[in-house]
Amino acid sequence: MTAYLFLLPALVLLATFTFYPVIFGTALSLFEYNVISPPRFVGVANFRQIAADRYFWIALGNSVKYLAVVPVLQGCAILLALWVHRSARGIGWLRAAYYLPVVTSIVVVGIVWRWLYDDAGLINFVLLRLGLARGPIHWLASPGVALYAVMFVTLWKGLGYYMVIYLVGLEAIPPGYAEAAAIDGAGALQRLWRVTLPLLRPSILLAATLSAISALRVFEEVYVMTSGGPVYATYTMFYYMFDQAFGALHMGYAAALGVVLAVVTIGLSIASFRLLREGGLSYY
Amino acid sequence: MLVLLLSSGAWASPPRARIEFWTISLQPFFTGYIQGLIAAYERAHPDVQIRWIDVPPQTIEQKLLAAIAGGVGPEVVNLNTEGTLRLAEARALVDMDDAVPPAARARYFPNIWSSTRNGGKAYGIPWYVVPNVLAYNRELFRRAGLDPARPPASEEAFIQAATTIKQRTGVYGFMPNIDGIRFLRIFQEDGLSILAPDRRRAVFNSAAHVQVLTRYVALFKRDLFPTDTLQRGYLGATERYAAGQLAMLTTGPQFLLRVRTDSPDVYRDTAVAPYPLGRGRVLDLPTMELGVPLASRHRREAVEFALYVTDDANQLAFCHQVVVFPSTRAAAADPYFTRAGQSPEDRARAIAAGELGTARDLTVVVPHSDELYRAFREAVEQAFYGRMTPQQALDWAVKEWNARL
Repeated sequence: MTAYLFLLPALVLLATFTFYPVIFGTALSLFEYNVISPPRFVGVANFRQIAADRYFWIALGNSVKYLAVVPVLQGCAILLALWVHRSARGIGWLRAAYYLPVVTSIVVVGIVWRWLYDDAGLINFVLLRLGLARGPIHWLASPGVALYAVMFVTLWKGLGYYMVIYLVGLEAIPPGYAEAAAIDGAGALQRLWRVTLPLLRPSILLAATLSAISALRVFEEVYVMTSGGPVYATYTMFYYMFDQAFGALHMGYAAALGVVLAVVTIGLSIASFRLLREGGLSYY
Repeated sequence: MLVLLLSSGAWASPPRARIEFWTISLQPFFTGYIQGLIAAYERAHPDVQIRWIDVPPQTIEQKLLAAIAGGVGPEVVNLNTEGTLRLAEARALVDMDDAVPPAARARYFPNIWSSTRNGGKAYGIPWYVVPNVLAYNRELFRRAGLDPARPPASEEAFIQAATTIKQRTGVYGFMPNIDGIRFLRIFQEDGLSILAPDRRRAVFNSAAHVQVLTRYVALFKRDLFPTDTLQRGYLGATERYAAGQLAMLTTGPQFLLRVRTDSPDVYRDTAVAPYPLGRGRVLDLPTMELGVPLASRHRREAVEFALYVTDDANQLAFCHQVVVFPSTRAAAADPYFTRAGQSPEDRARAIAAGELGTARDLTVVVPHSDELYRAFREAVEQAFYGRMTPQQALDWAVKEWNARL
């Protein structure tokens, strides 16, 4: 009984802010609702409409493309964690510096990067000065480039967060394993590939799953930097949901989009677990 | 003791009506004005209490919907024409043609009162209007070899000047208002219709419409305006102008205040001229309205308060605070609007006042506006990015519109 009492505050919060919205949102997906008029039950009509909705497929396609940020981000975060996982003078400051973008408001980050990406911004200035581009690159105004430019901001902002997860994972690996491998003649690359990374797998699973979920739910960067344009090149699932809910007042349809996105996300999380479940200290 | 309590008002009966009044981004610059307005109203109407809430423009519709859904919506809310029509389509607003007596309605310019009319009903009481003017950088004009005393007076001259400035200085001459659905306004400014007279059919794919779009697409391809024009709109244009990276800015006069604050140097070089009209000789007149949600518990009092905020005296007083214009005829006739001062704002005020006669709100009122606007926006972007020809893009958008109209 005491245990349940301890659990109660968290359960109340979860019930209010997680379970209730999930249940309400799922139920809402079966209704037509514009907030003003009473909801009207439409069954699975919203889901049927989704299947034939070209903007849904555009948004889903962009969200799936956005997943490409996950392996790059994880690779960079692991390398960064390996680099700062050592004792050296000023290493604490370095770790803090990499973590700084994580705690910076995404709106501020978006505006700063919009300036950097501008035709007359710093990035184009440097590229032109170094002779690496013949004219300014339209980072956010070119349909073929904009999504990748926004993805880079996600990568830059998330790097510190995942670095910390990997640092914790690295701290937990006893140095004896790598030392034993070194005595057996393993080089640095072999030690990384055959010892460190397999032992780091639980952290990789956690970080990859979290970042995949974040990638599918990307919204703020798009909202601040491109508003889904140009020509829907950065129009993601979350942005489409937002547009439908608060632009078009199609709350039921937006909820149905949310349900579809949840199914995709759950599917992806299961796949991540299947792929990366082996590994870690307890496994070996 | 009893006398003291009674005289202190502590025993006074609670107000009969509590009116929540939402405005868009008027704090902190106009806090004093709005508070004074409210205090005067409450003195004259002791049984009414006003609660003022100021909301950022980007979030007002979301917040309004959430408040209405939660049963705590405002009684009076400030919206622009597009927002008013969107909420009217969702059956959220009171019909002002019905709620406001004819004598009170007659105080407003009829063209402005009609801005929010849809299906024979008008859903907002017009508050202030902000016709665009042309602000331009005299220094950049001089560098391009143009005479700063002779700014472009027509759309044709405007484009020509922008071309010359870009070619001779490397700085962009203009950022045309083509983001979102604003190309619908460009068509209308050129005297081209969007809908057939019966409003059941879109007609913006004629040869004349295609020609206008083709021209702007060609300007875009020649790099005569920035590539982010389609995404950034007037905010991007204002930022660029304030940074000295844009020679001409077609904007509401109130944005000159931002230039004055952000870039005093650019502001010093700024001159103001009438908006360069297109071939249709019509000027867009963005309008702010006060709407009353149908969910309002004190509808009569809310309408009365909205009429008070927008009456002649209060609109005139507001126009003294910032370069905006009244929607009522008597207030607009005040000599204040025709006195040309020396500052760019004073000049803008006098110029814009002269434009009121040729201006009307060019918001296109259609059912299913979100779907139709989305199709139009996509078509225009497809044309600009070369994924469709202008003819294909407009044909496609017209087909989408006609399927829903």
